This record gives sequence, C-alpha cells and structure tokens, in this order.
Amino acid sequence: MAEKTVMDYTKYRLKKEEEIREILAGIPKISILWCQKCYKEFKEDFEPECGQLKDILEGMGTEITVCEPVDFLCNNYLTKKILEHLQVDEPIGVVSCGLGIQFVAGIYNRRRVFALADSVLHSGNATTIGYHGIALGPEKCAACGQCYLEITGGICPVVACPKGLLNGPCGGASSDGRCEVNKELPCAWIEIYERLKKQGKGFSSFVEIRNYSIFKVDEKKRFEKANRNERTEGFYGGVHPLEMKESTEGKPLEDFPAPERIFVFLSQHTGLPAKPVVKAGDSVRVGQKLGESTGFISSAVHSGVSGKVIGIEEKIHPVSQTLQPAVVVENDGADTPDPSVMPVMDPEGLSQEKLLEVLRNRGIVGLGGAMFPTSVKLCPPKPVDTLLINGCECEPYLNTDNRLMIERSDEILKGAGIARKILGARRVVFGIEDNKKKAIESATKSAGGGSDVEVVSLKTRYPQGAERMLIKRTLGRDVPDTGLPFDAGVVVLNVSTLYSLYNAVYRGIPLVERAITVTGVDVVKPGNYIVKIGTPFYNILNSCFDSESLGKLNGDYQLKMGGPMMGIVQTSTESAVIKGTTGLLLLEKPIVEPSEENECIKCGRCVDVCPMELHPDYYAYYGKRKQWDKVVEYKVKNCIECGCCQYVCSSKIDLLSFIKKAKRYANNKG
Amino acid sequence: MNLEEKLKSGKFVITSEIGPPKGTNIAPHIEEAEYLRGKVDAFNVTDMQSSVMRLGSLATCRLLFEKGLEPVFQLTCRDRNRLALQSDLLSAAVLGIKNVLVLTGDHTVLGDHLQAKPVFDLDSVSLLKVATGLMEGKDMVGNELDGTPDFFLGAVVSPGYDPQELQLIKMEKKIESGAKFFQTQAVYDLAAFETFMKAASRFGIPVLGGIVLLKSAGMAKFMNENVAGVNVPDKYIKMMAAADKKERAKVSIGIAAELINGMKNLCQGIHIMPLGWEKYVPAVLETAGF
Amino acid sequence: MLITKVKDHRKIQEILKGYNPFVFKCFGCREVHFPEEEINEILKEGQGHLKGIARIDYLCREEFTRRYLEAFENEVRATKSILVFSCGVGVQVVSRLLEEKIVFPGCDTFYLNGFQGVTAQDFDCEQCGQCWLNLTGGICPLTACSKGLLNGPCGGTTKDGKCEVNSEMDCGWVLIYKRLQSIGRLDLLKKSAVNVRDYNLIIRAAVK
Repeated sequence: MAEKTVMDYTKYRLKKEEEIREILAGIPKISILWCQKCYKEFKEDFEPECGQLKDILEGMGTEITVCEPVDFLCNNYLTKKILEHLQVDEPIGVVSCGLGIQFVAGIYNRRRVFALADSVLHSGNATTIGYHGIALGPEKCAACGQCYLEITGGICPVVACPKGLLNGPCGGASSDGRCEVNKELPCAWIEIYERLKKQGKGFSSFVEIRNYSIFKVDEKKRFEKANRNERTEGFYGGVHPLEMKESTEGKPLEDFPAPERIFVFLSQHTGLPAKPVVKAGDSVRVGQKLGESTGFISSAVHSGVSGKVIGIEEKIHPVSQTLQPAVVVENDGADTPDPSVMPVMDPEGLSQEKLLEVLRNRGIVGLGGAMFPTSVKLCPPKPVDTLLINGCECEPYLNTDNRLMIERSDEILKGAGIARKILGARRVVFGIEDNKKKAIESATKSAGGGSDVEVVSLKTRYPQGAERMLIKRTLGRDVPDTGLPFDAGVVVLNVSTLYSLYNAVYRGIPLVERAITVTGVDVVKPGNYIVKIGTPFYNILNSCFDSESLGKLNGDYQLKMGGPMMGIVQTSTESAVIKGTTGLLLLEKPIVEPSEENECIKCGRCVDVCPMELHPDYYAYYGKRKQWDKVVEYKVKNCIECGCCQYVCSSKIDLLSFIKKAKRYANNKG
Repeated sequence: MNLEEKLKSGKFVITSEIGPPKGTNIAPHIEEAEYLRGKVDAFNVTDMQSSVMRLGSLATCRLLFEKGLEPVFQLTCRDRNRLALQSDLLSAAVLGIKNVLVLTGDHTVLGDHLQAKPVFDLDSVSLLKVATGLMEGKDMVGNELDGTPDFFLGAVVSPGYDPQELQLIKMEKKIESGAKFFQTQAVYDLAAFETFMKAASRFGIPVLGGIVLLKSAGMAKFMNENVAGVNVPDKYIKMMAAADKKERAKVSIGIAAELINGMKNLCQGIHIMPLGWEKYVPAVLETAGF
Repeated sequence: MLITKVKDHRKIQEILKGYNPFVFKCFGCREVHFPEEEINEILKEGQGHLKGIARIDYLCREEFTRRYLEAFENEVRATKSILVFSCGVGVQVVSRLLEEKIVFPGCDTFYLNGFQGVTAQDFDCEQCGQCWLNLTGGICPLTACSKGLLNGPCGGTTKDGKCEVNSEMDCGWVLIYKRLQSIGRLDLLKKSAVNVRDYNLIIRAAVK
C-alpha cells in the first residue's frame, strides 16, 4: 500500500472553560452547532470538543436546546439548507473555525451567535501564514504571490524561516543548525544551503525584497466569485474537466462503412432483453426486426444491414462486460431495405397512441447513454408541461450531439415536435452548453421563424446533461429525491434520441444506426461517425487507430465506451456498438488508479462537487468497512454515478465502486 | 579622525558597546562610555538587544554624539517595516549619526514581549541596500530625497557559524549591498577565526573581531550551548573554573588580551562587548598592549 | 483555496530553452482555478525543449507523485531540471523528492478567502488562535478590516462606508457596527476592554 503521511490539520480547538463561562454567563439556554472538522483522518466518532462543551455547559447549568453536528460547516450552500430545516433558538453557540462562525453569524444576523472555539494555525509564523496543500503533507505555501522556490532550491524561506528572511540566514542558528526560535526547528537557510549544494547551484546574487501589494482586492474578488457563486450557478456542485473536444468538434458527421458482420445485442435498453425473432440461416434486410420487445419496459432491435443471420452468439456486452446473446448478421453489402421501412404518413395527424407504437416498433430508446425506451418515457404517469431538449453533451471529448445539432437541427426539432405532441407539452426548452457556439447558432436558426422553442445557452459544466441538473438549471425546478423528471412536470430527451425519433417517423427507419465520436490518444482518423448498431469495436478501432497504439491496449492504454467521466472501460474489442454508445475513446490509463484502499482525509471536495448534494466521503468510510446499511442511510440511492466525486477525490478513492456495491446491496435487500 | 577615516588609514580600531537601559535612567551608561573615552574609537549602541524592550538606540547615540563620543547606531529589522526603517535612517542622519550597523535582529520570542508581532519586513541585506539607496538620494521605491544622508554602513558576521560558507555568501551579499565594515560575533577560537579571516580576506573589507569578557566558566558553557556561532575552548573554561571568585576578572582579562593579541594580525580591529564589565575594558586594552 | 498564476511567460520560455526541463503540471486542487490552458500554450511554444510532461492532480500528495516519478523515470533522469506548474506546496514536494534536480516554479501562488475551510468565501479566517467574533457580532475584524484593527475603525472610512484601501471593500468596522446594532449589542463595543493581539499564540503554534 502507498506510504501515508496524513497530518492532522484540524482547524479549531474549543475555547478554555473560563472563557466559555465568561462568554455564556447568565445565559439559561443555548443551541449548539458544531463543525465535524476537515483536513484530518476521517473518524466516525463525534469530535471530542462536543463532549467537553456539554460538560462545561452542564456545570454552568446552561440548557442545550439543540446540538447539531454539521459536516463542513463552511460549505455555505449545504449548511444553509440544513439550517433552514433546523429549529434553533437564540442564542446560538458555534464550535468551528472562524469561517463557520462567521457564516452562521451572517445567516442569523439578527440573533446572538457565540464563538466557542479558536482557530488553530498550523504553519507559518507571525509574519506569514503558511497554507498546507490539499493533501496533508509537511510542506507549506505562504501564497505570497511571488514564488522564490527557484532560488532557494525548493524550500520556502517565507514559511520555513520564522523571520521569513529572503537573503540568507540570520546569525541565530545553533551550531547544529537549529533555529534560534525553537531548537526543534532546523534552520531553513541551512537546509536551503545544503539543498542548493546538492543541485550544484549557487546562491542568487539578487537582493530579494517582498512585494506585499501584488494581488489586488478586486482580482481576488473575481476569483472568489468564479469559485463560489459562478461555480454553483444553476445547480450545486459539478466539475469542469478539460473539454478535449478540439480533435473532433470540426469533423462533420460521416457514414462509417457497414462492417462484414454486425453483432446486435438483444439487450441494449433498460428493461427486459428482446426476444429473438430470427434464427441462423434467415435472410434479413435493413431495418428488419431481429428481436421483439418483451414487455412494457423493453425494446425491439433491428438489423442495420441486409444479409444472413449467422446465429445468436454470446459476446462481451459493452455495458455489463459479461457474455450476452447477440444476433450475428453477415452483411451481403446489398443494403436491401425491409418493406417495413416506410415513412409514417401524416405524422402530425396521428394519435398519440399510434405515434408511441411507431416508436416502440422501431426500437427508439434514449441515446444519451441510459437507453430508456422512449415510448415509455413519453407516456408519463403524471401530466407534463415541458419538453426539455438535452443538447449539453457535457462529457469531455464527445461531439456527436454537437455535430447533430450543427448539421441536423431542423430534423431534431421536427422530432421534438412529435415528442411534444405525444406529451401534450406546452413548452419546449432546448438547453445547449456554451462551448458549442455553432450548435447554439444552428438550433436558434432552426427554432426561429414562428416556432416557440426556447434555446438556452448554458455555462459549460459537468454533469449538466444529467436530467436533474438540466431541469434545475434551465427551469429552476427540483426533482424530488427519489422521483423522476415527470414529478417536476418535465420530460428530457437527448438530441440524438430526437434525431432517431425523426428518422423513425419521417423516414420510417428504425434505430439501426447512430452517431458516435471516435478519438483519443494517437488517433489517426478522429471523427464523428454514423455507425450501424452492432458494428464490432475492432472494425472502428482498426480504421481509426494504428496497430501500434492498439497494441498498447493491454498496457498503457484503455478503451472506453462513452465519455471519460461515465464511460465504461472495455475489456474486449469483440464487443459492438449498442444504442447507448456515444463514443469510443482510446485513453491513457491513469498512472495512479483509484483504489478502495486509500484513506479519506476529509478534504471535503467530493461534497463540494456532488451535484446530488450527497456525502460521498461517508461512502468511502463505511464502504471500506462494509457497513452498507450506513451507506444506504447516506442516500446512496440518489447517486447518479456521474463520477464527479471520484474525479476530484484527493485520495483517489474508488468511490464509484463503493457506490455500485452499496446500490446492489440495497437492491438485493429490496 | 572618525571611525571611517581610521579604518581607511589602516589603524587598528577598537570599538565597544553600550546597551541602553529599560527605562529612562541613561546617566550611568553615559558615564561608562565616558570612562572609556580616548581608549576606544567608537561605541555601538544596541537596538533592544535580545529583543528586550529598552530605551532606543538612536536617542542614546545622539547623547553620546553630544558628548563628543562617536556612536555606531545599531538598527534591526525586527520591529519596523520599511517605512519606519528608512525614516529612522533619515532621523539618524539629521541627528549627526553617521555610523550605522545593520542587523536582522533576534526574533521577538527570544525577548520579553512574546506577544509582539515580529516584523522582519526587510532583512539585514535588503536594509543595507536601502540605506545605500538613501545615500544615493532615492528611497526604496525610487522617489527623490530632498537632502541626502551620508552613512558609514556596517554589518555583522559570525565567524564560528557552521556552515561557514553560508556566512561568507551572506557577507558578500552585505558588502555588495553597501556594508563597509564588519563586526563579528564573540571569538574564542583563534584557529577557527584565522580560517574564517583567510576566506574573508578576498573581500578586502575591514573586520573587527568580537570580544566578550568571560565572567565565569558557567557563562562560557551557557554560551557554548545557547549562543549561535560561539565556541569557547575547553582550556578557557578550565582556566575560569580554576580561578577563585576574586581572581576571575583577572583571568578573564588575561584571556581577552590573549585573544586580542592573537587577532591583531588577522583583522583590522576589535569590538569589545563588555556586558556590564565596562570597568575592566581599560585593563584588557592595557594588558593587550594598547 | 490556493490559486496559481503563471509567472512571466518570457521567463518560462528561458527556463525551457536553457534547461530542457521535465514538466509537472498539477491541476488540482481540482475545480479551483488552475490556468491549464495558458500553461498548455506556453508548453506548445517551448515544445522542442521539454523532456516530457506529466499531468497530475494533487501534486502535493507525495505517495501519488512518487508513482508519477516512477512512470516517467527515464524522462526525469534525462534532465537536471524540473519545471513545476503548481502552488508552492507542490513545488516543494517535487523538490524534496528530487533533491538533486533544480526545480523551477512556473507559478506564483496566492490564496482566496476561505482557505481555512473547504469553500471559497467572501469572508476569511486568519487562524489567529484567539477568536474575536464574540465581540464583533460574528464579523472578523482581522480580515474584514484592512488594518486588522481590534478596537474600532480608523478614520479612513469613506462616506459610503467603504475602506480607504480599496473602494470595493466595505469598511469592516462599519459592518461590525451595523451587525451589533441589529442584534442590540452595541454595548459590546463600548464595554469591551482594549484588545491587543497575542502573536506568540501563532508563533508557538507554528513552531510546534
């Protein structure tokens, strides 16, 4: 296991008893809020300060009316929510660092709020505060705005020297190189001297003088705003990884040659797998049904090529990574269409029921990745007033939705018209992230001229494409914890789905092909390809990458289906494109892979980014101890598995693994 | 001749030191200086030595100046930011103080006001540079001065410091920043001092070797353990330990004279820090042959 | 929140050309500002001079950084210098792990209010070790007042209640006054003893 150096950077300590007695003298009762601390080893036990405080108050005869532990009290958004639901009586005592106290005092600005703790400084000296990094090591940074580390061999004199000297040592070091202020401290300048010697580098001849006026208040304010207000604009949490869209955003959609064989999985949708309706030796045509939907939540699958059914074989399924049955069809290259491929006559005049049947028959499912049957989604059990078109495509690298919006926005909006008709929705909102300028232009143009579709540009942030986040961001509505979008009067459909819906209705083509983005490291032919559902991965890989980089698939590289955040690592190139395939990415394996073993250091970042406002840190803690009931208690069922927590985890804990295990546990338990 | 001229002329220079009192009772200290009139060339006035709050160095320097004794104004970076330091330098100039010895200063926690904010806005090197800048008619940010001060700038160096090279590097920086003479930490180990002076000779700058009168064997041991860069050899400790109480001063004077004689050909002068034993300084000088 | 700002581009190009360094770019504290795109531009320009680039998060996390050093062993061995784009903590960690390499910081670091905790804030805590908030209605005079005054405002407040140092900033003591007024505790201002900071609390904590 990795070597561990977790230092305890607890930020506060309880004030002394005498002081508390003085502060609270004559106060008969009090509510207490106390912060569960940060930057320290994660411990389940309640912080000892609380017990001490209770004893003191008991001794004073002060009644405690409320005593509420809060995780990351200074997380202003979440704490505010907690406080809204908490009945606190005046006065309020706060046990936390100065941030938490000021935050609470700001919220209850008409009540008395008492500071019952003092902040603890862990580093620096009285001339400078030194900040530790996110990971809790011994090095400190004074954030002085003028890094001297180059001339000091990588040891910071501003923090490590109690006088913050920049031009060499004072004369105060003892003969064994200890600081005059504290014999336990090594003289920073002797350390610098030794370090520079190792580097064969002399002292700088410059006379260094600190500039205390480097950062302007307004500049800091701007960053603060960007990091606090703007980051949680629209919805709480989320992340903004490097977009990495450059390699394919300018690549127009291009038909990928139909392969010699396609592997059409019988399960490529939420719900029950399709039942095969063909057998080995059968001839099939383009658009012909290969499998029939087997229930309300299920979907049909079709052939994208004409030719002969070889049989039903077991192939590695790209989602489950287990062997699953797939219909194997040999392509005769003739592209003979099935007679059922016929545009629907007068779709605007058809009843909702008839239209739903068309979608059901033609195998339309959500193409954003979840593959929920669209015909089911479009008959929600509650009335819906808004159709929300999801043009976010917030995953890095992917550009399929982007290209569809640029090139086919008329078709998308026609598809949306059908969906709207089925739903009877009053309003159509089209949300597109602002990193897709051309798509916004194109959608605005298509929506213009009499249509009442509202195109909304959204500040790019992951996972904005998740339904809940998009609804919150565009409509300001909350989907209840265990509810679905229709509980908020909304149905969300992805642009790819609407395009396939268009194809199904106006061109009569079932869902036999879709657009995917192919890119990644060493990519030779990056692009946005329209591929037949069932196209084996090796066909695509061999066409877009050279053999050398593909050779690294067992070593430094990995293949992901979907985006880098939520995509699934593929173990077999014999797998094939399914309806939910948004892209194929060849990515470098991370040098440090997430592990279940790593320990949480309470940095609070996962809580800060979780768009579902959950506490992934507890999943790691209890997950590691296999206390799944506890994980469930912390609402793991609400998790949308967007991966933000794992993405930011400073300890690289495999949080998704714990989450999936906990969900399985919860499902098995019923 | 003033201190600067004496050092230039090649005269072996002797300086001593006054520590202003905690309070306003300065008279006895001036008397002590008077006692050494004609025997030493200049008097350092310490700037709250050991970070203990005391009467200011600048006022005491002026009092000496008025008596016709030559002061060396010690100025530390511990308590003043760059505005105050520059302002005090200008004040010194108008009060007729020319010699300024620049130091970083002990940390506040070593003194008697532990709760104080340590400043250290500048350090000895940068303060020397700033003082040089003032002499060139510019303040730190380049503004023109109306009336330019003239200083004879000094600095300190600790020959017994380990690693010695680090002291030499900083010494060179101080010279480049404007230091014209150096006084050293107390020297007891002549061999080590010789090595240091050999290395420092390349700078061609006057160095006054530091002399602190040993008061007892206990003091010697204490300094060895607690004072940076000081190393009293065993033989002196033994000599002090062997001397009975009445004899101690005599033994101490003998040791100091021996050290001075040993240093005579190595450096350009001596700086005696009597630490309350001002009355023995004439004897020391006499024994050493001055 | 530690924020990094890229140093003078010309200087970085000089380092690239003069030292052919291996480059670390740390993009964590993830989701706190890190000028990665700006850095990529610089590196593009100096491409031919690099020995390699490692993109890493939480460079300050030594055990992970070690693994990166193993993965890039050959590239690191091939040079005497490392250029690190990170906060000062990251630079120091790399320097400690590679004591014999010359490590150049590519960034200057400053911090945002709220570093003490986990969220950027519009108020701050200076970790003074002697919380004054009971006397000031929960607004910190050390951080809300440019001078960190403990006994009331200086005379520099502008007519609209702003600070003399920066007109964007509210006068901390005006805020304190208003807050105390709203909770009916102006008596705290009048009654409280003369407050003086004890810096030794910090020094003691710092050198422990």
